[in-house]
Amino acid sequence: MMRKIISGNEAVALAVKLARVGLTGIYPITPQTTIIEVLAEMRAKGEINTEIVRVESEHSAMAATFGAALAGIRSFTATASQGLLYMHEMIWWVAGSRMPIVMVVGTRAVGAPWNIWNEHTDFTSERDSGWIMAFASNPQEALDLTLQGFRISEDERVFLPMMVGMDGFILSHTKTNVLIPNQEQIDEFLPPRRQPYVIDPEDPVGMGNIFPPEEYMKLRESIDNALKNSEDVIREIGKEYSRDINPLSDYSTLNVKYKLDDADYAVVLMGAWAGDAMEAIDSLREKGIKIGMLRIRYLRPWSESEIRNWLKDKKAVLVLDRSTSFGRGGPLYVEIRSTIGDLVPSIKGVVSGLGGVTVSKNDLLYLFNKFVEGFKEDVIWYYPREVGKIEFRTPRDIE
Amino acid sequence: MSLGLRGILNRHNALLSGTSACPGCPENMALRMLGMGLGKDVVLVVVAGCSSVIQGNAPYNAFNFPVVNVAFAAGPATASGLARAYKQKGKDVTVVVWAGDGGTADIGFASLSGAAERNENILYLCVDNEAYMNSGGQRSGSTPFGAITSTTPEGKKENKKNLPLLMIAHNIPYVATASVGYPHDYINKLKKAKQVQGFKYIHVLTPDPYGWLFDPSKTAEVAKLAVQSCYWPLFEYHNGKLEISPESLHCLDKRTRRPIRDFLSIQGRFKRMSEQDIKILEQYIDDMWKKLESML
Ligand code: SF4
Repeated sequence: MMRKIISGNEAVALAVKLARVGLTGIYPITPQTTIIEVLAEMRAKGEINTEIVRVESEHSAMAATFGAALAGIRSFTATASQGLLYMHEMIWWVAGSRMPIVMVVGTRAVGAPWNIWNEHTDFTSERDSGWIMAFASNPQEALDLTLQGFRISEDERVFLPMMVGMDGFILSHTKTNVLIPNQEQIDEFLPPRRQPYVIDPEDPVGMGNIFPPEEYMKLRESIDNALKNSEDVIREIGKEYSRDINPLSDYSTLNVKYKLDDADYAVVLMGAWAGDAMEAIDSLREKGIKIGMLRIRYLRPWSESEIRNWLKDKKAVLVLDRSTSFGRGGPLYVEIRSTIGDLVPSIKGVVSGLGGVTVSKNDLLYLFNKFVEGFKEDVIWYYPREVGKIEFRTPRDIE
Repeated sequence: MSLGLRGILNRHNALLSGTSACPGCPENMALRMLGMGLGKDVVLVVVAGCSSVIQGNAPYNAFNFPVVNVAFAAGPATASGLARAYKQKGKDVTVVVWAGDGGTADIGFASLSGAAERNENILYLCVDNEAYMNSGGQRSGSTPFGAITSTTPEGKKENKKNLPLLMIAHNIPYVATASVGYPHDYINKLKKAKQVQGFKYIHVLTPDPYGWLFDPSKTAEVAKLAVQSCYWPLFEYHNGKLEISPESLHCLDKRTRRPIRDFLSIQGRFKRMSEQDIKILEQYIDDMWKKLESML
């Protein structure tokens, strides 16, 4: 084990190397690009044997990765934003095929209009596809979750693909201290690949031809069950990972608590802004305000039991969304309401940080203060700076 | 299959009983011949189309090969992943993409072009029935000028996209055309393609009784007429050299071509064509042959 100052994207590339991935389908899209560049570099230098398929689109990146997985080798890909949307069809196809694959998403806003900066909407929009969905809050977690992803998705109680989200630029490009496991540790942690079936002429099975309605529905139910089962698997594997590989992080739970147990007020969020939120919480704690945080680390499976348990005695809950579910606030807000609506008297939401809008510790401090005082609206769209009136053009009058 | 084929067959039965194909289905014929040409150790990647239905309902499958059914545009990329994985595992497997003309000329073209440019070691089979037959016979980029389809009830106004020539322009090692009317020729091309390293493309004309509007007993006959009238050229392009197949050699001289009307009148889909329209189609055929001749 060693420590290195690296970016989130470099951390992911190292995880791919350590997992001895057999094939990766690559197509560039910002801010994920440097993951595949680092992998290509490693391949050129002979540091990895990973087959790199430089395809012509994200749809094909997922398809090529899928093909290799079907033939029985560990495979990986990464994408973001429009690219994720472009591979949407294949994302569902892979989940419906119950094929283990790991993908990293460097989250980014979705157009129109073009915007290359961070937002979680690309990631959250895949939440019903049948993938396991983890979200990192620092480069270390991006590496750890990617490695755990192979183990989780290849577990016979799961056999579902897994994606790991990571805030674009904020994590993908910022360098921090990362603990890097050594190869022997990972070889021990990751057994040879297992998968539900292998496409091979020795055993001519058919995959994906027409399913009669009842059988089709049964298959959907099997995905639902596998996703629910994965909760225990994730805890089990996380515990092992924390014990044997990274003792500085606790992966024995799906989600993460910060000063939550004795808190009256709770903030729920996902991703990189957790760091600023923890600082804001520390400041409020100094003033005697009992506030804590629940960070969602797994959007799917959604651990109802953890979340209900951890939030059940709170006076009020504030949900921060860096993504949208138009007309309904943010996706996390909707999920939290449906999970604890009967337990917590007040649940409020804030949508902010979209398209790269910077939300600082001071902004969060302001928001948390306002929340503790009690704001009226259910969901507010928060702009950290004064934003002038933005004129949208209306259709011209037709003479 | 006729007795005459026995000598050249690979004895692999590609089709088991119980397919859900229509009577007279040309794709069934093309698949049966695929087994004769390639033998075992084949993996099929089937994109959306009749062939994803012909297999029958899961958990059964009438294709006697391992089959991966994928979304329309995903065939060549999925096959790329499979082929590279087998290579890594040291396995000798012929990975075949089996796609219709819609999946090839239209929605899947970027993926096809990408895999060809990378010269992936796969065999791409386009079974061309010249429309989206599985969804009810809508026009595709491969539908010929003048043909009535369910979205061109007045007859298509544009010419057929010439995919084999487009694939030759990709500088891949092997491109061939075939017709289910000439099994020897098709099976020999499959056998040859199997030996070639890199990207192989074979485009098979598969006349469809239901979209082309002819009697299902006449599939092979229509497939032959397409070649005899020189509407469908049979050729082979290997290592940078184009060769016209024996069945099509007569087309090089316009005088020895069978009249196009023989091909048009045996089917219902060209019945709205005027004299002027027939001239346009003839011009397309002349131009195609001039192009092929210039490449010899
Ligand atoms: S529509 Fe045509 S290609 Fe499709 S199954 Fe029927 S005969 Fe075969």
